[in-house]
Amino acid sequence: MVGDFSVGKTSLTQRFVNNVFSDKYLTTIGVKIDTAIVGDDKLIVWDVAGRDSLSPINASYLVGASGVILVADGSRSNTASGLLEIWQMVRKRIGSVPVVVALNKVDLDGWQIDDHSRAILDQQGWDVFATSAKDGKNVEAVFNKLVEKMNSKDS
Amino acid sequence: MVEVNLQQQINAQLFDKLQLAYICVDSSMIVVDISDNLSSYGYNDISIGAKVEDCVDFMFGFDAQTQLDLPMIESPSGITIAVSLLPSDSSLMVLISNASNQAEQRQLLQQKANENELLVERQEKLLHQLEQASQQLEFKNQQLEEASRLQTSFLSGVSHEFRTPLTSIIGYTNLVEQSLKSSADKKGCDPEQKAGHLRAVQRSSRHLLSLVENLLDHGKLDSDEIVVRPKEIDLVELFQDVELLLKPLSDTKHVEFNINLDIGDSAVVLIDDSRLKQCLINILGNAVKFTDHGSVSLTAELLDEFLSIRVEDTGPGISADDLEKIRLPFWQAADTGKAGTGLGLTITERIIELLGGKLEVSSVLGEGTQVSFQIPAPMVVTHESSKAFNSPQPLSNMAVLLAEDDHDIADLMVMMMADRGVHLTHVENGALALEAMRSNTFDFVLMDIHMPIMTGHEVLVALQQENNSTPVVIMSASTVEAGRVKAENLGCYDYLIKPVDVDDVIEIMNQVAMNTDISHRP
Repeated sequence: MVGDFSVGKTSLTQRFVNNVFSDKYLTTIGVKIDTAIVGDDKLIVWDVAGRDSLSPINASYLVGASGVILVADGSRSNTASGLLEIWQMVRKRIGSVPVVVALNKVDLDGWQIDDHSRAILDQQGWDVFATSAKDGKNVEAVFNKLVEKMNSKDS
Repeated sequence: MVEVNLQQQINAQLFDKLQLAYICVDSSMIVVDISDNLSSYGYNDISIGAKVEDCVDFMFGFDAQTQLDLPMIESPSGITIAVSLLPSDSSLMVLISNASNQAEQRQLLQQKANENELLVERQEKLLHQLEQASQQLEFKNQQLEEASRLQTSFLSGVSHEFRTPLTSIIGYTNLVEQSLKSSADKKGCDPEQKAGHLRAVQRSSRHLLSLVENLLDHGKLDSDEIVVRPKEIDLVELFQDVELLLKPLSDTKHVEFNINLDIGDSAVVLIDDSRLKQCLINILGNAVKFTDHGSVSLTAELLDEFLSIRVEDTGPGISADDLEKIRLPFWQAADTGKAGTGLGLTITERIIELLGGKLEVSSVLGEGTQVSFQIPAPMVVTHESSKAFNSPQPLSNMAVLLAEDDHDIADLMVMMMADRGVHLTHVENGALALEAMRSNTFDFVLMDIHMPIMTGHEVLVALQQENNSTPVVIMSASTVEAGRVKAENLGCYDYLIKPVDVDDVIEIMNQVAMNTDISHRP
């Protein structure tokens, strides 16, 4: 799970793995690793600390990844436009692995992802989901899609 | 020997101090050796001979050649660890150390920095929203200012528009009064002059009426209350009326006024004549008002049951910008020096739509203006019997009751109808009207709606209950459609709006006379 800080990477992971949600914001340091079972597959989720003003994303955490979920906060448009740069960094470190995009916090007022911003993401050929870790909207869909893409790449 | 022991002691102490732990795997990623303290980090299930990725989640995806530093990973025990993968020829050493102190310090710093940045972002968003709200407010203010300007301009225009014909009415009636006073000593103006004064009064009165109609119609625009009622009309007569009304105005300005008709000698069509006249007066009135030199021309063509109207003037023209605005209610160009209500074109456009047409306006600044429209005008086939019907019938045998509480209007009606040979019996309220109709037989009743003691509506209800089928024509000062509908539902024969045209009354009386045998009346 990669993206800018405070976009909801940890919340999405916790919603998917443990079906819990907390409004409290606690910034992730380094990486947290969780495990979930999806069908016959065991998914090991690396919830990587977000990119912020103090430091970029540590690319070492990406080594060995079979797929990536790019996460943005739909109420902060700069986090969505930042995904292109983050993806460049990912590709440089581990190549073009299967990827899906979660535009998170769709439950909030003040959604800032307009048609133009959405078109830019669609142009990359990415599967884009509007998600909410708070009410669970599209959370399973995002992870299931990634698993499907990783499995089809393997086969 | 001593050096080796010292080295071992130092290593052991270093291990303890840094709480170092290790996992050693072979080239197939099978665990071959582990430190004793792995369980302090929550790695309890590692055993020699197991696949390392099955026991340690973070090892999945690595091979024996991976060289990597992972500075902060949350271990199963919750302690943040630093992990280093150190490959050698035939094995991989996974070195784990306690990084919780650095993690804690980093956490505090990172948390504050991120929260600050989020606050700054929120602040920028709020400032942006404030700016947008401010711009919207500014826009609303401008709209309000414009509305206020239009209102002021409208009131000024209304005042001017009403004062002009009123000045004419007051002035000319004064002249007639003076001439009547002077007639006793044979001084004063001759009859033709008096007739001219009175015609001026009539024109101004009709102009005033059209202003009132425009104002009232504007109020109805939003509620779709404007209704068209087609009836058989002679187009030649209609255009003659319009010319009589507007030509004197153009004559005073020395502007040529032309009406060119291509409608045949006898063009009787089915159209709401009063609404058509209203539109023509509005359009021609505007053209004459704004043209100071040259001409105003109306061309009318009747073809395939469509009436095409085109009005052209040699006035100052309208700029392209203003051309879009002229249809807006109350809007008037600021610099013409010609006051008005700004309503005429708005209402005209709506009425033409209701008549089944579309108003077109074209103009070039400095080169005059053209206004045109085309509306359906179904022809009416006139038969001999209806020709006989159109010929005035002797009505002096008809017994006619007038119920009207306004004495001035009543006296006027009595005099005007007497001129046509019709004698009116006048009563001043609805109760007296009902009493008169019970004790006498009347062929025709003209009745006001708003009367004391008993209203016109109440009289109609009583007549229905008594099965009295005497034709009752309502005269009402209200143009609200609901009033007409109510009266028609109560069985009135017809419904006229004040000021009532005597010709309309005579026409209705003729219809009644056709259906009633009045020949026996003394």
